[in-house]
Amino acid sequence: MSTYPEKFRFGEFVGSIVWLVFIILILVTLIGLPLIFVVLFYAPLPPVGDQVLTPYLFLSMTVDPTRTLPIIKYFIHTDLFRIAAFPGFSYAALFAAVTIFVERKFLAKMQLRVGPLYAGKIEGIFQLLADGLKLVSKEIIVPSGADKPIFWAAPIAFVATAAAVTTLIPVAPGWVAANINVGLLAVFAILGFFPLIALLFSWASNSKYPFIGGLRALHQMIAFEIPFILSALSVVILAGSLNLTEIVNSQISSNWYILFLPISAFVFYISSLAELERIPFDLPEAESEIVAGWLTETSGMIYGLIQLGSYIKTYALAALFVVLFLGGWAGPVIFPAELTPGYTGVRIYNAITASAIFWFTIKTFGMIMLMLLPRGINPRIRIDILLHTGWYKLIVLAFINMFVALALVYGGILGPGGLLVR
Amino acid sequence: MTTIEDKIEESKKLGMQIVKESEDDRLMTLSVGPQHPGSGHFRFVIKVDGDYIVYCDPDPGYVHRGDEKMCEYRNVIQNIPHLERPVIHDSNNITYSYSLAVEELVGIEVPRRGQFIRAIASELNRQVYTLYWLAIYGIFLGHSTMFMWPAGDRELFIDLLEALTGARVTHAFNIPGGVRNDIPEGFKDRCLRNVGYFEKRLKEYEDIFYNNPLFRQRTEGVGILQKEDAIKLGVTGSVLRASGVPYDIRKVEPYDVYNEIDFNVQYMRTGDSFARSYVPFLDMKESCHIIRQLLDKMPKSGEVRAKLQPNPKGPPNEAYRRVESGRGALGYYVVSDGTPKPYRVKISVGSFRNILALPFLLVGSRMADMPSIYWSLNYWPVEADR
Amino acid sequence: MSHKEDAPVSDIPSGNKDPSTSDQNKVKKMSQSDNSSSASSVTRTSSSSAPSRAPKPPQTSPLQPPATQPSTAPKPATVSSMPAKKESEAPAFEKGLVSQILSRFGDRVRVAYIRPLRIKIYVDPADIIEVATFLRDTMGFDHAESASGTDYPKDNQIEVIYHLSSNTREGLYSQVLALSTRTGRDDARLPSLINVYKSVEYHERETFEMLGVYFEGHPRNERFLLPEDWADIPPLRKDFRIKGR
Repeated sequence: MSTYPEKFRFGEFVGSIVWLVFIILILVTLIGLPLIFVVLFYAPLPPVGDQVLTPYLFLSMTVDPTRTLPIIKYFIHTDLFRIAAFPGFSYAALFAAVTIFVERKFLAKMQLRVGPLYAGKIEGIFQLLADGLKLVSKEIIVPSGADKPIFWAAPIAFVATAAAVTTLIPVAPGWVAANINVGLLAVFAILGFFPLIALLFSWASNSKYPFIGGLRALHQMIAFEIPFILSALSVVILAGSLNLTEIVNSQISSNWYILFLPISAFVFYISSLAELERIPFDLPEAESEIVAGWLTETSGMIYGLIQLGSYIKTYALAALFVVLFLGGWAGPVIFPAELTPGYTGVRIYNAITASAIFWFTIKTFGMIMLMLLPRGINPRIRIDILLHTGWYKLIVLAFINMFVALALVYGGILGPGGLLVR
Repeated sequence: MTTIEDKIEESKKLGMQIVKESEDDRLMTLSVGPQHPGSGHFRFVIKVDGDYIVYCDPDPGYVHRGDEKMCEYRNVIQNIPHLERPVIHDSNNITYSYSLAVEELVGIEVPRRGQFIRAIASELNRQVYTLYWLAIYGIFLGHSTMFMWPAGDRELFIDLLEALTGARVTHAFNIPGGVRNDIPEGFKDRCLRNVGYFEKRLKEYEDIFYNNPLFRQRTEGVGILQKEDAIKLGVTGSVLRASGVPYDIRKVEPYDVYNEIDFNVQYMRTGDSFARSYVPFLDMKESCHIIRQLLDKMPKSGEVRAKLQPNPKGPPNEAYRRVESGRGALGYYVVSDGTPKPYRVKISVGSFRNILALPFLLVGSRMADMPSIYWSLNYWPVEADR
Repeated sequence: MSHKEDAPVSDIPSGNKDPSTSDQNKVKKMSQSDNSSSASSVTRTSSSSAPSRAPKPPQTSPLQPPATQPSTAPKPATVSSMPAKKESEAPAFEKGLVSQILSRFGDRVRVAYIRPLRIKIYVDPADIIEVATFLRDTMGFDHAESASGTDYPKDNQIEVIYHLSSNTREGLYSQVLALSTRTGRDDARLPSLINVYKSVEYHERETFEMLGVYFEGHPRNERFLLPEDWADIPPLRKDFRIKGR
C-alpha cells in the first residue's frame, strides 16, 4: 500500500534526484579527491616488479597488458586478497550462492517439481538475486525486550565465524590464507563458536521458541563435537600433522585417507551434517515443533546473513572433508602449461595451481551435493535419538577407526616411512 | 509500582486467569498456534518440563463460522455450497451425509446410477483429502519430499473431479436427490489410468516414507492410544482403526451402494503414531480397488438425480445419517419442522471427536513428538470449528 | 438408500403386518437382493458387516410410491455375528434394545421413535445419568458420537441430545441411540454426562456456549469455539438472529 505525497510532481522528484547527484559530485570533488591524494602522498606504496606502484603507474598499467599482469599478481598474493577474495570469503560466498541455487533445483528435481523458473531467462538463475533484494528491502524487527547489542551482533558474528573457517582451508598448494601448524585444531575451535552464537542470539531474542532452539543447538554441539574431532583425529594419526596442507601432502604421497578410514569419513560426514543443522539434524530450527528454532525472531537481512553464514559453513565443512579424506587438491594436471603453444611471454597462469583448484572445487562440490541429498529423503530426527546417536554410536565408530589408524601406523604401512608412502 | 500479586488480584476481579510462571520455574508455558507452523488454524497451550509435555489444553475456534446457524436460514439445497466450506478438500463427503439426511427427511429416492456416481466422487475426494493430509504429515516431520509428492499426485484426482464436477476443490456435487450432473465421456478410462498410475506411486511412498528408518523411529511407539482408551474417548476414523477397532461406516452401515462393494476394513492394532499414519495409506490403497469396482458395476445409463420440487420439504421429523469421510464418521443430525429450511443442523465431525485424544496423548510425551502425534490424529481444524 | 429403479420388485404380499416398518422392509429386501445378485459381494473384512439397512423415516412421502410388503427376504450374502439379522424382523433388534431399556426403567424412559438402526428415547434430567450408566454398562453403548442441543422457544425448552454408539459390541456397530432430555430455557441446567462418557467433554462445552446450557459437574463450562470476548446471547438459540437476515 504505497501512498504518494499530496503534491507529488514527477518533475520535482527527478529534480531532487539530480540535486542529490550534484551535491555528491561536489562533495567528492572538494573532499574525496584531496583525501585520496593526501593518502597516496603519505602511504608507503608497494614495489611491483622493479618499480614502485604510483598512481601514474597504476593508471598506465591498466592499458598495457604486459604491465597489468605483475600488478594483478602482486594483488592476488596479498593477505587481504586471500582473506577477502580467493581462498577466503568471496570464493566461499560464491560457493554458497551456487549451493543455494543448486540445492533448490536439485531438490526440485527430486520432488518432481521445477524449482525456481521465472527470475532470469535460464531456469531462474536470478532467483537468488531476487531473494537477496527482497531480504535487503525488508524491515528488520527487533523484539521488545531484546538484548539489542547481542541481537545485532550475532548475525554478523555468525558470518564472520563461518568466514574464519574458510581462511584455514588450503585450496591449492600455497593457496591458503592462514597456513598455521595447528590448522585442524583451529578449525574445531572456530566451529565451537557456532552454538554459542546460536545460544546468545536465542537468549537475546527474549522469546521462548528461540530459547528452546538455542538449547537444542547446544545439546547437539556437545553430542556431535566429540565424534567430529575423534574422526578427524585418526587422519591426524596417519598424517602426523595438524597442518591441513601437510595432511593433503601426506595423502598425495600415499593415498586418499577415505580408503583407509571409511568409518571415520562416515562419522565425519554425519557429524558435519549435525554441525550444519541440516535435515535430518535440523532440530534447532525444527519448524513444526519450535516455529523456526533460534531463527524465529530473525527478519530481513538478519535472516539473510545467518543463511549466508550457514551456507559458507556448508562449504567450509565440505572442503574440510575433502582436505581430510579426499586428498584435497590431489589429481592429475589437466590444464596445459601454456594457453597457446610456443608462448614465451609472461606466464598468465600456473597449470598446476589451476588444476589443483579445479579438482578441489569439483570434489568440494560433489561433497556439498552429498550433504544436500539427505534433505530430500529423510525426515527430521528426534532429539533423544540424536543424542543417543552422537554419544553412543558415533563415538564408538570413531574409536574403531582410530584403532585401525594406529594399527596402520604401528604396522609400518602408513605414516613416516611406511610401505605405502611414496 | 504495582507488584505481580496486585496484578493477579486485579485480574481475578476481572474474571481472568493468570498463571504465574515463576511459581514453578521448571515449567515453560508455550502457546502452539495459531501462528505456529505446526498447528494450522488451531491453538493449544502446552507446558513443558524440559523436553516433556506436562499439560495440554486445546483451544479451537479460530475458524468458527457458525455453519450450523447458517443452515437454519437457507433451504436444504442452498445449504450445500456453504456446508462444504469446513473441509473443502473433502467436500463431497461432507455434503454426502447431509444429502442422505435430507433425503431421509424429504423422502427422496436416489437413482441407482446417481448413487454410483456419488460413491465414485466421494472415494476420489477422500483420496484428495488423504493425500493432502499425508503431505502435511510429511512436512510436519521435516520430510519435504513427502510434502511435494502427495501434493503433486493430488492433481490426479483433482483433475478427475474437475472433469466430473466442474470445480477443483469445492464441488457442490452431492445434492439431495442425487448428483448435479452425469459423468463426462471417457471418464472411466481416464479414471482407471490415473488410479493405475497412483497405485504405482503408492509403492514409492512406502519406500521413501513408511520404510524410512528415521520415520519409523519418530513414529513407532509414540503416542500409543490403547483400544480401550480410544473407545472411551470416542475417536473415530483412522485413529480408531489404528487402535484395533475395525470400524468403518462404509462397512458397518453401508450407505447407497457400498453393500455391493467388496473391500476390507483396514486396521492395525498398535495404536501408535505409525499406525495412525499408515492406516490412511492402506485406506488409499483400498480405495483404489473400490473405485475400480464402482466403475465396473455402474449402470451404463439412467437418471443421476431424482426430480425435486422447488423447495423440498418433509413433515416434521429428524434424521441422523453418517458417512465415512477422510477423518472418520461424519454425521449430520438434521431436525426439520416441516418448512423448507432445516430447524437445526448439527454436524458431528470426526475432527471434533479426535481432538479429545490430543491432551490425552500429548501429556507425558516429548515435545519433539508433538507434530507427529497431533497430525496423526487426522484433525482438520476448520472442520472441527465448523 | 434403496435402489428402486433397478431392483427387482417383488409384489408378493408378506406376512409381516407391521405398518411402521413395511416400507423399510421393502427397501432392505431389495438392497439385499442386489447384494445377493452381485457375485463378488463376499466380504473379505474381519469385521462383521451389517447388511444394508438404511434408516428410513416411517412416514410415506409424496415422492415415494406406495409400499409393497415383501414376503421373505433373501438371505444376506454376508455372514455376520450380529443378532437379529433377519430382514423380515428388521426393527426387532432395535425393539429388543428398547424393551431392555424399558424393562429396567419403565415409565421413566419414553421412546420417541424406533427405526432401523436408530432409536431415540427421552428421559428426565434427573434420570439421565442413571440411564446413561445403564446404557454404557449393560447395553454396551460405550461412546457418544455427538452431543447437541436444539432450542424450542415455543415450548420454552431446550432439548439436549446425545447420539450414543458402540465400538465394542459388533452387533451394535451400526446402531445409534439418541438419548435426549429437555430443560427450561430460562435457567438451562443439566447434569453433565462427562463421568459416564468421557467423549462428551468438548461436545458439552460446545453446547454450553452455543445454547447456554450449564452442565453441572462438567469441569469447564467455558468458551470453546466462540471468541473470548463474545458478549451476546448463545448463538444457536432461536432468538439470536444473524445480522442482516
